[in-house]
Amino acid sequence: MIASLRYEFAMQLRRPSLWIVYGLVVAVMVTVLDYWSLDLGVYEVSAPKEAMGVAAQIVVTLLPIVYGCMLADRLPRERVLRVDGILDATPSGRTARLIGKYAGVCAATAVPLAIAYFGRALLYVFVEGQPSALGWAAVTFLASILPGLVFVGALAFAGPLLLPPMVFRVLFVAYWFWGNVIPASLMPTLSHTVFSATGEYVRYGLLTPIPPGYGRASAVLDFLRPGYTPATAWLWIGVMIALAAAVLSLVRLHASRSES
Amino acid sequence: MRIDVSDLTKTYKGGARALDGLSLVVPTGMYGLLGANGAGKTTFMRILAGLLKPTSGRVVIGGHDLATAEGRLAVRRTLGYLPQDLGVYPDLSARRFLDYIALLKGLHSRSARRRRIAELLEVVALSDVADRRLKGFSGGMLRRVGIAQALLADPRLLIVDEPTTGLDPEERIRFRTLLSQLAGDRTVLLSTHIVDDVAQTCRSLAVLGHGRLAFQGTVSELVSQAHRQVWTVTTSGPAPAAGRVVSALPEGAGMRYRVVSAAPPDPYARPVEPTLEDGYLALMDGRAP
Repeated sequence: MIASLRYEFAMQLRRPSLWIVYGLVVAVMVTVLDYWSLDLGVYEVSAPKEAMGVAAQIVVTLLPIVYGCMLADRLPRERVLRVDGILDATPSGRTARLIGKYAGVCAATAVPLAIAYFGRALLYVFVEGQPSALGWAAVTFLASILPGLVFVGALAFAGPLLLPPMVFRVLFVAYWFWGNVIPASLMPTLSHTVFSATGEYVRYGLLTPIPPGYGRASAVLDFLRPGYTPATAWLWIGVMIALAAAVLSLVRLHASRSES
Repeated sequence: MRIDVSDLTKTYKGGARALDGLSLVVPTGMYGLLGANGAGKTTFMRILAGLLKPTSGRVVIGGHDLATAEGRLAVRRTLGYLPQDLGVYPDLSARRFLDYIALLKGLHSRSARRRRIAELLEVVALSDVADRRLKGFSGGMLRRVGIAQALLADPRLLIVDEPTTGLDPEERIRFRTLLSQLAGDRTVLLSTHIVDDVAQTCRSLAVLGHGRLAFQGTVSELVSQAHRQVWTVTTSGPAPAAGRVVSALPEGAGMRYRVVSAAPPDPYARPVEPTLEDGYLALMDGRAP
């Protein structure tokens, strides 16, 4: 598992397109969403915890799209490159290799996203002189961003088992906006539910108060939108991890069935 | 390491039968597996490597039964496998690629791994380009990387599937020599449709045809299948109608044909000594429906 994790991490991280695509989307965030601005107009600019929460919200609005799309060709890659015969003939376990590959490529694909997020935290520290922002950035990243990436990573990893990677990418972008970004009042959607990967249950249930004026109109599937509390924050983390585990189990099952 | 195969059958989804009741014993040493394209060689190799499950039948390698998970794992620990359609990670260097495969084969000590990789790069004459990315390698160089990865864990069983396909003559000779040198106390199973590769490297061989065992024995026994059945005919007329023409060489105003045929194909035909290729063709023609 460690070998796969290490090499898949290295191969994904050295992929030029990873940095180019992330770079383009971060450029959009900076120019259109005013990402580097310290005053995002939601909270007091001098409150580091809240500032890191708002930065997380911006990061998870767009960058998971790149994250998912860059993961979408990783699982079929061995077959496409015809390396699978050599790998399968080694005594390493297929399950261990699958988990190692998943963890390695997801971690590598999350590196540019983490740089964008922690880069802003560093900027904040230098300008505001509040080193505690780095600590809050780490907590926010681990609790509010990472569980979503764990689930979305598994989904994007497994999707190309059913669809060609390019088709999957198009559908993934549609899923991301439909299931995570659009307002719940617009149409039936998974946005703002415990199945949404944006981490708002942790941000508003554990870390920061709900921003002023952040009201929710009633919508379809509201039974999946409990209030923001510490309990629902932990529930959301559990749901993300459970969904990721379920998707990876299906991938392993699919591989077992394909073995004959 | 002896391989015992009994009544092995593989039927793919959709009904195509690749192996049909194959029984075979492969002893230690270099062993050839000949057969036309589609004869079932690659399916057989993939079953031996534990990549495919047979529909029925039994395979025991060095006392390990491939029907059990423990048996398959034990065989994989002693196996070096070079598949027919070898692929690599194009963005890794040869050294890094071998390092990855070595880790998967359980070579966890970094110093031992580096030493082994350096040795093998030397054996396959790739030390000079070991740190270049594999995407720049020629077909012959990739084949040599393939054999190096197969040898990483010093396997007792080496399975090489069509290793010389696509190589230029010089590379082919180099590759065959390398395989022969490696045989020693290992079992090296060489699958190919190129008769000359077996003739130059193996003492014993099996021939597959339509998923069945057509022949098992020594190279000289297969050659003797064409005894008194190989002829040369020089003529300025059409090619002999009887038998199978093996070669045709221009000679003067006519052509000199080499023919495998049970009876003289022409009143002026002269008998000649058979080669392994003649023996193979005589065998396959004798089995043809």
